[in-house]
Amino acid sequence: MSPIVAILLLVAGLSEAAGRLLPVVARLSGVSHVRVVGLLLAGALVDGAVFALWPLSAWAVAGLVLPTAPSDALVWTPGLAVPLVLAGVLAFPLLGPLLHLLLMVGVGAGLAGALAMVAGIDWWEAAGCVAIAGVGLGVSVEAVRRLVVKLNTRRAPEPVA
Amino acid sequence: MIGLALLLLLGGLGLVLIAEALLARYEVLVYAAGWRTPTISRPEGMSYARGADPDRPPDAYLVYLDGIGKRRFHDTRDGGRLVKALINRAPELRVLGQVQPYSPLAVPLADRPVWTWVRRRIGLLLFLHNVMQIFVAADRRYRPLYNRAVGAQIATELQVAGYRPDSGIPVVLLSYSGGAQVASGAVNELWAQLRTPLWLITLGGFHNGANDITHAQHLYQLTSAGDWIERVGTRIFPQRWRLFRWSGWNRADREGKITVHRLDPATHIGPRSYISPDARLPDGRSHLDRTTDTVLALIRDRLSLAADSDGPLP
Repeated sequence: MSPIVAILLLVAGLSEAAGRLLPVVARLSGVSHVRVVGLLLAGALVDGAVFALWPLSAWAVAGLVLPTAPSDALVWTPGLAVPLVLAGVLAFPLLGPLLHLLLMVGVGAGLAGALAMVAGIDWWEAAGCVAIAGVGLGVSVEAVRRLVVKLNTRRAPEPVA
Repeated sequence: MIGLALLLLLGGLGLVLIAEALLARYEVLVYAAGWRTPTISRPEGMSYARGADPDRPPDAYLVYLDGIGKRRFHDTRDGGRLVKALINRAPELRVLGQVQPYSPLAVPLADRPVWTWVRRRIGLLLFLHNVMQIFVAADRRYRPLYNRAVGAQIATELQVAGYRPDSGIPVVLLSYSGGAQVASGAVNELWAQLRTPLWLITLGGFHNGANDITHAQHLYQLTSAGDWIERVGTRIFPQRWRLFRWSGWNRADREGKITVHRLDPATHIGPRSYISPDARLPDGRSHLDRTTDTVLALIRDRLSLAADSDGPLP
């Protein structure tokens, strides 16, 4: 992985973590600024790592479902990774989740094209592999996120009568 | 050349929109994290409530939640006309108009240094900021926090103005435009803190219909065929569609809690708006007069019904 791609993925991770920050902080009433910054940086690393694993996971899925495993590994290029910097769009009121989904679908489509070329398979097959990898990683990281919040929660929000 | 200028303008506006949308939730974040306590400080000489004599309990408390023009404790020009008309014609009510519907921390935009600078140069951004706050208040992720913040703000304002929990004195939330999103969201917190008989009156209400208004006794929807802004709200928010049977709005509708009153041909804003003192009806009254009469008639009818019955009203 080139340094520029590594930096892009870290920034993308930070952007994604910032987009998800408020619901996390809301469960940690009375949390300090320092702790929030710490959570944000930890989230940036985890989300950046998940983004980094996406093409590798898609390539591994392709190896599992195809009769012959692709020879060259699928890796991020700056062109493929740069839209991920906009992951913070998730924070948008109301439209955030939809815009975030569209962004991920767009990036996934780019990855599918690259995988189709590397593995010499049909674009739709590649898109399936990318989607399975993306959903799998997404579900895993969400589970980790919930666990972190649960471990960090000192007090549940007061119930509204 | 014109095309390039337009492209630059749209690009610039797009960037401003993106920045504003991303920063809009900052105040809710500060509130949620507990980094700042909402303020109830007032400008020098400003009373906590107007209207009925503070030495004796009023017939009802009326809290006015203004539209997106609200950016200071004092009334806006249009909202102020309505508040003044209500105070002049209903001495039995205590009226609160200083609530900040678009600030979870209860800090008026006009009192913030950055926004003072913005107001002098790009005043339109203040409206945009308040529009974004409506969308933050409507967002599933931020709504519970926003509702709790503004509900607590209203409860505090009421108590400072003399309201006592469990006193049984009705509270009327009169909301204009986007204030309806905040008013419907404040219901649960107000009930939790004050156990008040609560009535909602929305005037051209722009809201997403997701808020649970079970603890409100009734909602009066003042609307008009000429109000396209309210109509946009009914179309862009799925919870306002009949299809979403279990949204707060549709449940309240099925329970018979919503009554529609038409104020045709009034518009949402402009010279023929609900609050216009110049636009005249065939009977000679201005739109402002009719809106004031309607609001007061609804409150007084409700008060007389409450006086005639011991239990909660339908």
